[in-house]
Amino acid sequence: MKALQILISSILIVVGVFCFAEPARAFCGFYVAKADSNLYNQASQVIIARDGNRTVLTMANDYQGEIEDFAIVVPVPVVLKKEQVNIANPKIIQRLDGFSAPRLVEYHDSNPCQVYRYRTLEKQATMESAEADSARNNALGVTVEEKFTVGEYDILILSAKESDGLEIWLRENGYKIPEGARELLHPYIRQNLKFFVAKVNLKQFDRTSFNALRPLAIAYESPKFMLPIRLGMMNAKGEQDLLVYLLSPQGQIELTNYRTVKIPSNVEIPEFVENEFSDFYKTMFQKAYEKENKRVAFLEYAWNMANCDPCSAQPLNREELKQAGVFWTSPNRFQNVFITRLHVRYTRDTFPEDLSFQQTANTQLFQGRYIIRHPYREEINCDRAREYQQATRQRQEREAQTLAKLTDWNLEEIRSKIDFIEAKPIPWWRRIWN
Amino acid sequence: MFLSDARDYQILILASFLFLGILTRDWTVQPQFIFAAIASCVLTQLSLTFFLDFVKGKKEPDFGLNRVRVKSYQKFRSLAIGGLRSAAITGLGLSLLLRTNDYNTMALAGCLAIASKFFLRVENKHFFNPANFGIIAVLILTNNAWVSPGQWGTDWWYLLLFIGLGGIILKKVGRWDTSAVFLIVYAGLEALRNFWLGWDLQVWQHQLSSGSLLLFALFMLTDPRSIPNARSSRIIWAIAIALVTFILRDYFYISTAIFWALFFISPLTILCDRIWQAPRFNWQILESKKLIYW
Repeated sequence: MKALQILISSILIVVGVFCFAEPARAFCGFYVAKADSNLYNQASQVIIARDGNRTVLTMANDYQGEIEDFAIVVPVPVVLKKEQVNIANPKIIQRLDGFSAPRLVEYHDSNPCQVYRYRTLEKQATMESAEADSARNNALGVTVEEKFTVGEYDILILSAKESDGLEIWLRENGYKIPEGARELLHPYIRQNLKFFVAKVNLKQFDRTSFNALRPLAIAYESPKFMLPIRLGMMNAKGEQDLLVYLLSPQGQIELTNYRTVKIPSNVEIPEFVENEFSDFYKTMFQKAYEKENKRVAFLEYAWNMANCDPCSAQPLNREELKQAGVFWTSPNRFQNVFITRLHVRYTRDTFPEDLSFQQTANTQLFQGRYIIRHPYREEINCDRAREYQQATRQRQEREAQTLAKLTDWNLEEIRSKIDFIEAKPIPWWRRIWN
Repeated sequence: MFLSDARDYQILILASFLFLGILTRDWTVQPQFIFAAIASCVLTQLSLTFFLDFVKGKKEPDFGLNRVRVKSYQKFRSLAIGGLRSAAITGLGLSLLLRTNDYNTMALAGCLAIASKFFLRVENKHFFNPANFGIIAVLILTNNAWVSPGQWGTDWWYLLLFIGLGGIILKKVGRWDTSAVFLIVYAGLEALRNFWLGWDLQVWQHQLSSGSLLLFALFMLTDPRSIPNARSSRIIWAIAIALVTFILRDYFYISTAIFWALFFISPLTILCDRIWQAPRFNWQILESKKLIYW
């Protein structure tokens, strides 16, 4: 078995040396900490700005444990120098989240006796923003390629020959790594990836006067457009949510190894949802996720960043786009940034492979948009009153059924929460003579 | 007669996949694009058939193409009907696979696909799969075309459906060997890579249960008119495509690897046919034993 493995390895290495330009590239990792508790990364947010092979990746984590225990290991495509690593402004993720979040739009019916006028009010359902020795080294096959400090983080770039060695090295150097790390680290080592290891430098952390850990951004060049999620599964209990904001100069970015599905959108729902929009969105998302057998990524937003309609937040200005990693705009050029917001809920079983992306020329706009229409409740003094009331009542009933279908909430309960408009039946003779 | 030709089954099956995709897979294909694809294929087919027939008519004998001469009306009719079937298949294939946001790009793909059949010929046999040629042409020539490999997902019942219906077509045209060899070799290469990397079996399963991969292997790779005639050469040809797909996908990170692999290996058909000789495939002979045309 061992001999076969060596044989296959050597054949592939020889083939690799002659045929292939660059080894596989990958990204995104797992937390390692010295404490056992609060080690779950259940929701994370990532910004990927990419043009050609150039990529700026910003990772915001939702680490919930003690700051001194925080550490993260992420596979990276190349050895990163200090200037390729940066601290991102935590607000930029909130801005992108706010801009691209599924939104509730509210319309007020006007007096049916007058010409219809709409007043628009926007509300957004932002996800809760996530804040979240040399001889010995040689023996283990681990090399410290780079060592530097950026902001509050001490960063090491490691390369390793064997996953066993890397696991032992990390343990010996005080990182408590999750069980099963070896099996997951192995493929990345085989693909010749480096490991980006960051932990918090407490002195620096005090000085920065930030309460939470700030996102880390790295810039690199690689033909492979993917995001490793497998390592992240080690810390996780059950399902994890990942929001990926993909920025490109051309159009929508989609997954190549999983389906990308649009979240149900542009539906009219009852008025009361205004007060429980978060609840509604979470329930609807879960239902859509189960309906698709939990194996798809959901598209929540796809839009050119120069505008929005309706806007749930102001579009990002040039400076903010730069902070988000957009490197291709210049002051004289038209702002060509297209944002794709993907929401992936994954477990080890349903997403066995890391996420692979591709950029497309698809400039179709999409947004998760939910509509509330408030009926006109004042007194109506014209002939259209009955007609309006009846139509509105039917609409309210349709909205109730839509909501029940989207969320599986009990239809009777939904109806009981709706403030149905009083509708007097229209006398039947009016239909023939009026 | 409808369903007298294996291509009629193929048209039905591809059309049903298209409906299935639009209805259940959340595709953003608009009817206008399907129309652009099918119309451009059919019109190019008709006009080139007519034009070439006209040119040949003037220069007797007919380019040494060894065609059986029949009365001109009958001849044109059979040419047109046979050609229309093929054009419809190419148009449906493009609608299923190619994505763009410009009708012109779709129409260009259709025209080039069909034109490749008429002009890129050696010994009166075209060697590019028309739909594949159209896709690659617009991927190179325009910047608003793309292919979505993830569009079918990995649900098992789609896979069963593809295998079942693909099996019907392959049985009719007798080209199951090509699909089988391609899938076995490709699966084997991916298994080796996964084993070497240390990924678990699930990753391998996930890679192979891609609906797009299966659809390609069962429907595009098996076009009996453009692939080698002899079984042994088809086997070598399929192995080459599997190998190139594997290299392009896993080492050059090209998401459309299968289409490029088929494109690069297609010209090998000529060489294969020279080395291993076998009777050429003919749709009409296949079904009715009547010798007419392409």
